Amino acid sequence: MAIALIGLVAFPLFGPPVYFISFVFWVFLYVCLSSSWNLIGGYAGYLSFGHVAFFGIGAYATAMIGKIFGLSITMTLLATIPAGVISSFIAIIVGYPCLRLRGPYFAVITLCFSFVSQLTVKNLEFLGGADGLWLKSMDVPVLVNRTIFYELMLFLTVLTVWVSYLVGRSRFGAGLRAIKEDEEVAQTMAINAPRLKIMAFALSAFFPGIAGGIYACYLSYIHPDVVFDVNMSILQVLMALFGGASSWVGPVVGAVSLTLVNEGLSTFVKAELARIIYGLLFIIVIVFMPNGILEFFSRKRRKIER
Amino acid sequence: MTAILSGHDIEKSFGGLKALSKFNFEVMPGEIVGLIGPNGSGKTTLFNVISGLVRPDSGKIAFEGSEITRKPPHAISSLGIARTFQIVRPLRDLDLIDNVAIAVVYGRNEIFDMREARGKALETLEFSGLAHKAYSYPGELAIEDLKRLEVARALASNPRVLLLDEVFAGLNPKEISGAIELVFRIRETYGLSIVMIEHVMKAIMTACSRVIALHHGVKLADAQPREVANHPEVIRAYLGVEYAGN
Ligand SMILES: Nc1ncnc2c1ncn2[C@@H]1O[C@H](COP(=O)(O)OP(=O)(O)OP(=O)(O)O)[C@@H](O)[C@H]1O
Ligand SMILES: [Mg+2]
Repeated sequence: MAIALIGLVAFPLFGPPVYFISFVFWVFLYVCLSSSWNLIGGYAGYLSFGHVAFFGIGAYATAMIGKIFGLSITMTLLATIPAGVISSFIAIIVGYPCLRLRGPYFAVITLCFSFVSQLTVKNLEFLGGADGLWLKSMDVPVLVNRTIFYELMLFLTVLTVWVSYLVGRSRFGAGLRAIKEDEEVAQTMAINAPRLKIMAFALSAFFPGIAGGIYACYLSYIHPDVVFDVNMSILQVLMALFGGASSWVGPVVGAVSLTLVNEGLSTFVKAELARIIYGLLFIIVIVFMPNGILEFFSRKRRKIER
Repeated sequence: MTAILSGHDIEKSFGGLKALSKFNFEVMPGEIVGLIGPNGSGKTTLFNVISGLVRPDSGKIAFEGSEITRKPPHAISSLGIARTFQIVRPLRDLDLIDNVAIAVVYGRNEIFDMREARGKALETLEFSGLAHKAYSYPGELAIEDLKRLEVARALASNPRVLLLDEVFAGLNPKEISGAIELVFRIRETYGLSIVMIEHVMKAIMTACSRVIALHHGVKLADAQPREVANHPEVIRAYLGVEYAGN
């Protein structure tokens, strides 16, 4: 594990093409997004289909903090932390009413929430509206620039996965599992379900908030259609389910493999065909391996890590 | 001695149907109380009201001297009221030890670590006669063991009052003796009060020091088991009008 990590950290130093660094950046981003989605969607079984909203909120919060205080790009990167907090805070407000709904109702209301956020940003003049927002860019060579963002995203991703791992084996995680199985029974086991759900939702919004901020600085231009893209919401759900939503490993495996497959397909076959294969692959997994590829291949049933 | 759990004038209707009507009850510390009544007489509804899953239309419930009537279910169970479900509700994707360990870690045990909780869960499973199935999943268990799991999970939270909803239904006479023995052992070991809903008269007669009989949500009798069993109104409720007086 440690060696793999050192390898990842050192990867850009071996002078790979910029294209590779950017690609791995994307892999990290998706590992981070699907791992944090998994805290509420996988552990607690509340399938949020609007999680991109927190990514977008983080991106805009970071850009606005930078703009309002006239921060340099380095300082703006630090602003991703309060942006994550803002994201969590909004999750608490939104989660309070929404987390009373279950199953498809929760999925639909969270989807609506992401559309509403997108439309709101599009229509607010001071957020740049439909023109988007520009951020300061870093005055360094492209390779250095990409390397910096690569390392930042790696750090955030490792942090997210680590938190997901800890939650998975904690009392908190066990409570979420019980809620997923039977919320009423969980409550009679003295589990404060409303509070646990809010906490999980807020935590699962924190990391995408930061990721959105890093992404905003990375692109140095954000647009509502990009950072509130519903495809991103769907992808993070698919990746977690693909790998297996009941452990911290599932979303990691799902995000890495699906990003690789997608990249491989779009490089080697025609784009339309790639999409079809991608979709089919996904349907096959969901139908024949409803608990994800990990559980299918290991036949491991344990849902709480020991 | 004051009651550990009591209810005052509890009313609950579902649409036009009165499931509980001006219902009063008391449970003393260490007591084993039986709750009987024909199907649909409101027994499970009473448990649902006590545990906070169903809100009463009116009336008060007090536990250890303080009112719990409008508290949410998790708050009520953290105070020390545990229950089982008549139709078993195990956490199906989790093995037995985790089913019970979650109750341990959220119960009144001062244990907050899952690993430690599993150790304690194993003890409780052993106590309930399920130690050899600790790593099985609920789907692999027969109904008798699922009922034991319900009991183990309720016990694991270290409650003060245990509400057992027909945990012995469908057992043969030999198993019933074993089950009665378990109930006594629970009281001895855990020193708690028990309210048990039961149709098996033998269990009620041997285990309980007091029996409450319900019919259409109304209390018919509240006395020693023998007295209740011979109560004309109780007999009529169970057997129908034509048998009354015989
Ligand atoms: N959630 C509910 N909604 C509507 N009606 C209900 C509900 N719960 C219970 N009832 C009705 O209230 C009445 C009492 O039901 P309850 O389950 O308390 O009976 P019981 O005494 O436990 O019966 P049994 O011996 O069959 O378990 C029944 O007529 C039942 O149909
Ligand atoms: Mg019942």
